Amino acid sequence: MVGAFDYAPAIVLLPFLSFVLSLTAGKYLPKGGAFGGIAATAGSLILSAWVFLTVSAGNAYNETLYTWAAGVGEGTTTLTFGLLLDPLAAMMLLIVSLVALLVHVFSLGYMNDEGETGLPRYYAGLGLFTASMLGFVVADNLLMAFMFFELVGLCSYLLIGFWFREEGPPSAAKKAFLVTRFGDYFFLVGVVGVFATFGTAKFAGEAAFPVIAEEALAGGAEVTTFGFAPETWFTILGLLILGGVIGKSAQFPLHTWLPDAMEGPTPVSALIHAATMVAAGVYLVARMYGFYALSPTALGIVALVGGFTALFAATMGVVKRDIKQVLAYSTISQYGYMMLGLGAGGYVAATFHLLTHAFFKALLFLGAGAVIIAMHHDEDMWNMGGLKNRMPVTYYTFLSGSLALAGIVPFAGFWSKDEVLYEALIHGLAGSPLLLAGYAMGLVAVFFTGFYTFRMVFLTFHGEPRTETARNPHGVRWNVKGPLVVLGVLAATVGVVNMVPLHDLTGGFPPEYLHDWLAHGELSALTSEHYGELLHDYAGYTSADVASYVAGAVSLALALAGVLTAHVLYNVADPDEHTAKLGAVKTLWYNNYYQDEYQIWIAESFVLPLARLADKFDQGIVDGVVNGVSSVSLFAGNRIRRIQTGVVSNYAVLLTLGLTALLVVFGVLGGWFV
Amino acid sequence: MTTRPELNTTGSLLPGLAAVALFVVMAVAILRASFGDPQGFAADAGITASIGYAMFDLEMGSVPGESFLAALIVVAVALDAALDGSLLLAKREEDGSPVALLADGGRRVRDRLRDGEASSDTEGGADADADSGGDA
Amino acid sequence: MVPVEWYLLLAAAVFCIGLFGILTRSNALLFLMSVELMLNAANINLVAFSAYWGNVTGQTFGLFTMALAAAEVAVGIGIILVLYRNFDDVDVTLAKGMRR
Repeated sequence: MVGAFDYAPAIVLLPFLSFVLSLTAGKYLPKGGAFGGIAATAGSLILSAWVFLTVSAGNAYNETLYTWAAGVGEGTTTLTFGLLLDPLAAMMLLIVSLVALLVHVFSLGYMNDEGETGLPRYYAGLGLFTASMLGFVVADNLLMAFMFFELVGLCSYLLIGFWFREEGPPSAAKKAFLVTRFGDYFFLVGVVGVFATFGTAKFAGEAAFPVIAEEALAGGAEVTTFGFAPETWFTILGLLILGGVIGKSAQFPLHTWLPDAMEGPTPVSALIHAATMVAAGVYLVARMYGFYALSPTALGIVALVGGFTALFAATMGVVKRDIKQVLAYSTISQYGYMMLGLGAGGYVAATFHLLTHAFFKALLFLGAGAVIIAMHHDEDMWNMGGLKNRMPVTYYTFLSGSLALAGIVPFAGFWSKDEVLYEALIHGLAGSPLLLAGYAMGLVAVFFTGFYTFRMVFLTFHGEPRTETARNPHGVRWNVKGPLVVLGVLAATVGVVNMVPLHDLTGGFPPEYLHDWLAHGELSALTSEHYGELLHDYAGYTSADVASYVAGAVSLALALAGVLTAHVLYNVADPDEHTAKLGAVKTLWYNNYYQDEYQIWIAESFVLPLARLADKFDQGIVDGVVNGVSSVSLFAGNRIRRIQTGVVSNYAVLLTLGLTALLVVFGVLGGWFV
Repeated sequence: MTTRPELNTTGSLLPGLAAVALFVVMAVAILRASFGDPQGFAADAGITASIGYAMFDLEMGSVPGESFLAALIVVAVALDAALDGSLLLAKREEDGSPVALLADGGRRVRDRLRDGEASSDTEGGADADADSGGDA
Repeated sequence: MVPVEWYLLLAAAVFCIGLFGILTRSNALLFLMSVELMLNAANINLVAFSAYWGNVTGQTFGLFTMALAAAEVAVGIGIILVLYRNFDDVDVTLAKGMRR
């Protein structure tokens, strides 16, 4: 029977087709190829939904479709492309294709209606971006995932640098590319390490590498660990792959590219930061969670990096003037929460936050895009104000997204963020002080999140208009409002899939849909149940008994405190810049803790001399040897050439001398003269 | 007028040392080697006849030897080729048509030598005069 | 019987005399004569070893060598003619390049 799984490759191929079409024939298509992209992503969405339904019936799909480098003989590896469709992938497919579709529609309003040029290039980029991300989601092995991971990075480069004639975007694009690539080097080494260790990089199935790793730790399988204890070696591998995750998901210290990436078109920002590129990192950890769950050290580092990033980015978001910058730092912060969740053993919680965040952050970026259209591409919040009455649809959807981001009940972000913190708390209390530190940082960040989110809302939409543009904004059309409404509704409601505190409070109602969704499946090694066992057996995670609604109440109170602070300070007719009161801290935050400066300092004082040294080595020794060989040859040739006089007598002399010498040598060696 | 033949000693004798050195090496090697007594031929052996038989691959000689029929043919062909080659090399072509193989009796060389001497101040003028007189 | 060493020594001497001529003279005709000497030095060896082994192979080969020497002289004279035509001289040191 032909089922959804037979059509699954088309989910990836449709946006790719749109990319090819836009690239080759975009000039002749109406709207620069936008309709092709919309049709393709809509097709992907429909197919994803079909796959989702099929998966929800208890099926899973894990097949190799194409072998592009077959290993010959014993101990060789076979490199393949394949599809892995389990509950996690199905859920992610739905998120990515939905957000991609809405971004395509929104682009009609943001790019086409604004009369941008180069639209075929834009839609080609979006198409390839969507295709790469979908390919990454369905990848069934680490190498394929890595390849699509890199493609996603390439597309982000192309799209962030879309306005390449201006000064900022190309530089931001290069930064995004280089910083994420820095992380990807570690990932690549990790991929090679996984191949060398396990001989396979498949995520699922009998011979999947997490399964082999588990058996190796249990003493049931032999793997090459290069002289380390298996635990140590698996931790090293996990951390290497984590390098790529930190780069892509913009975690400390490789987060600096993301705020600069705001130079790209706003729909691209929505796509990159909500559903695709940045999500790729977190998704990768979730995908191979069975591997991370074996190493408490790696988990601890993931949690600590996540918790620290959540707080760190949130503080920087507090002082920004640019609406997209605030969102950029909130993105970093929210992905920090997801990492904290994963590190704390809250696989479901992190996945849940990934889901809700995809919707509300896409919504916020698209809302910010609508505001930017209205403000004639002025992004400074201090030039806005009072937009509430002039663009109500945008306001209410943006408000929905903001409430979700701030974590106010009952919007989606509350449920997911609360569950992340809850997981960190219960596992932390049960003997992991590292997780408690992560929890504390996450909890403080909740306050900041509430504050900066509503500072942004109040400055943008409330009060009196502070400029002429804000008094008389540019209108937006259905193609902007439509996606906003869809996402606004989702941001408000998607939390129902997993309302844990309510579930605990009412004793079983409503059901925890997401928990059930991820807990079971045909591929038993990829379920949260199995991960729970692994965490308990190998990472030593146990749970303390804390009621989820208590933890939820704490974080809600903090979020509300943040919102109230923002309300007091900024929800007035004519707000002042209170940031000056922070003094030196403001300067520190405004300059992003001098992260860029210190990275430049590192680059200039360590990497540059090192590169110079390498250059010297290259120029002096490597090239020197080559040049030396050539000049010695030239010189010698010049000298030896002189014996080639062309005079036959001289040749005869040389022949004679040569023969004599040869005879002497033979004679001496052969003992003729003895 | 003719000139007496004289030894042309224009070349340097120095390269000849190489030949001397080679001889020394070979001589030492030969004298240090021991060959033993030669076998020699039987007193009544028909050596010349044997050579003739060997050349035509007829095993009728009284002295042993290898057969050389193929070598004989090859050498015959080589001689033929050498003859043709020498003709080809010696043939002079001017404007695409062959001209006589004959040399000019050394006149051009003599003329060139005379011109060279005429332009030289170190040589006596008397010879040049005598040469030109002889030509006339 | 004369020991074979002396024949060899004679051959080496003749060979080196021929070689000496080649090395020190530049006249092409002298070259040809010197080459003849060297070839005949080889012939001496062939004949000497023919007698040494009591076998006519060496002598027969000597005959072939003579025939080849004739061929060599035929070609050599042709080359000398060309040399003379091109350089107005039979001095081998004048011909220095592959082409004029």
